Amino acid sequence: MSTLLEVKNLSTYFYTQDGVVKAVQDVSYEVAKGETIALVGESGCGKTVSALSIVRLIAEPPGKIVSGQVMFDGTDLLKLPQDDIREVRGAKISMIFQEPMTSLNPVLTIGRQLTEALELHQRMNKKEALKEAIRLLKLVGIPHGERRIKDYPHHFSGGMRQRVMMAMAISCQPQLIIADEPTTAVDVTIQAQLLQMIREITDRLGTSVILITHNLGIVARYASRVYVMYAGRIVEHGPAAAIYHNPRHPYTVGLLASVPRLDEARKMRLEPIKGQPPDLIAPPVGCAFCPRCSQADSQCQTNGHQLVEVEPGHFTACGVVCKEARYG
Amino acid sequence: MANDTLLEVKNLKMYFPVTSGLFMQRRVADIKAVDDVSFDIKKGETLGLVGESGCGKTTVGKCILQLHRATAGEVKFEGTDLCKLSNKDLRPLRQKLQVIFQDPQDSLDPRFTAADIIGEPLKIQGLTRGREYRERVSEVLNIVGLAPYMADRYPHEFSGGQRQRLGIARALALRPRLIICDEPISALDVSIQAQIVNLLDDLQHEFGLAYLFISHDLSMVRHISDRVAVMYLGKLVEVSDRDELYKKPLHPYTQALLSAVPIPDPAVEAKRLVIVLKGEVPSPINPPSGCVFHPRCPKRFDLCSAFIPPLIDLGGGHHVACLLYSPKQ
Repeated sequence: MSTLLEVKNLSTYFYTQDGVVKAVQDVSYEVAKGETIALVGESGCGKTVSALSIVRLIAEPPGKIVSGQVMFDGTDLLKLPQDDIREVRGAKISMIFQEPMTSLNPVLTIGRQLTEALELHQRMNKKEALKEAIRLLKLVGIPHGERRIKDYPHHFSGGMRQRVMMAMAISCQPQLIIADEPTTAVDVTIQAQLLQMIREITDRLGTSVILITHNLGIVARYASRVYVMYAGRIVEHGPAAAIYHNPRHPYTVGLLASVPRLDEARKMRLEPIKGQPPDLIAPPVGCAFCPRCSQADSQCQTNGHQLVEVEPGHFTACGVVCKEARYG
Repeated sequence: MANDTLLEVKNLKMYFPVTSGLFMQRRVADIKAVDDVSFDIKKGETLGLVGESGCGKTTVGKCILQLHRATAGEVKFEGTDLCKLSNKDLRPLRQKLQVIFQDPQDSLDPRFTAADIIGEPLKIQGLTRGREYRERVSEVLNIVGLAPYMADRYPHEFSGGQRQRLGIARALALRPRLIICDEPISALDVSIQAQIVNLLDDLQHEFGLAYLFISHDLSMVRHISDRVAVMYLGKLVEVSDRDELYKKPLHPYTQALLSAVPIPDPAVEAKRLVIVLKGEVPSPINPPSGCVFHPRCPKRFDLCSAFIPPLIDLGGGHHVACLLYSPKQ
């Protein structure tokens, strides 16, 4: 499989009154054509910011992409002029957001919101675009498209709105879809419907997907490779099977141990990760996970850790797990 | 056995009127948020209440607390029907019935310090004064794992997990018997959820608390509950012992719900058969005829649209509302 997107050493900071929030630090990942990868982590770990930085949707100020490269199909998106990046957004890379009610425009009909991108990027006329919009609604499982394109977002239920978002996302046949917590706002039975639909459509069109989520179960079901983020950095990544069956970083180990599993015998007690995620304005010196880590030694408090390959394709940034990983 | 029962909910109904008209507000329909729900909770027991958003699980909690006055039915707490009591007569009983809400950000007053938040119920009930009051506040802080020096902090100075601890502390201050936990962990991060669940577990053992644990997270509900009740569109569809329900779910909705929960293991997921339900939850204003689940049910047959299945006892405390099953003689 050839690489579609390669993010190299990306850092995005936010300059606030309280100080500099280092939301994303030195993050690298890649997506092959037709592949689904997952960015996993808790709220505030930088998974959304690292994905928004790809299409430069970081509000500036206070945000700023301070360094890095985003190679997409051979061009560095971070170096493109404003007009050219607009050609990429929606057309080649599209997004599905968590809460469709806040990401759809409440005063425009669904039809208008669907045809806008088609007219802009596909250079369709109004009639063609409307016909295409109806076809797209049918594709994502919304019946009576001819009638429903005249409806407004509030006429749709949460699950239906997310289907509309999906229709918008695939309208220009993008090569990459960034799905940011696409099912967090919906119920579990609707979640199953939506994720199955996303998988069927992207499989058919050969679209790559970056799935951003905190739900480890969804990742196991849909992603082929996983990147685990903590406090703005990638702490572990590799094929899904390796991450789930042989997690090496203490954070990944802790995260997997802290969720109860329906397929296993009920434990008497859950094993939480102690403490809480660090403040990104003043993160701990050395490894950010160190204050919560049960395996940390004295060097972890002063030294950060590099990602080191522990088995083919499986990288871990923990100095205790891989002694050779220490630097600094 | 009967005096083991702490709370008994019988045929509870909560209808919200839908009105129409600008000046003359006519009642045109009812939203049947809770429709004929019965269950009980024993002393020191945790009953998990699961279902999708809008199915009425929060409304059940609010009806028990008398924050909604039920349209019909009984809520018997230690033998007293709370629905028949006036607000004034309820007040002393509220000590024993407390609540923890989903989002501690919204349910804690931002202008109150931690000590004020925990102390407010003590003041309202007129229980403690002076030194005793301050001692009780720091004692409760200590119980939930917060340091006494945090008493003068405001909610925004706490992290999400700590704020939820504060919410729990407020509920505990009055030494309740029953706590309604309304999605107490859904707003928290994965690594913090386990901390809070363990805390609830410890408190239950220490103080003999009973919980009604309302949640949509089926894996967490299995962990914390002794028995589980499944709700769909205002009705209970299945009530059972925890292990029995997860091992042998009987109602087609429970089966679909359990199969939709993703398991954090790619090897297991690759082999799993997921029942994907068609369509969405219908509107409670105009629920389907017969069994409310029949339009989405993969196992429906012709009788399902005609008859409302009662919640029947299949023995061993396993109750199900589905025409596929007949009661044990």
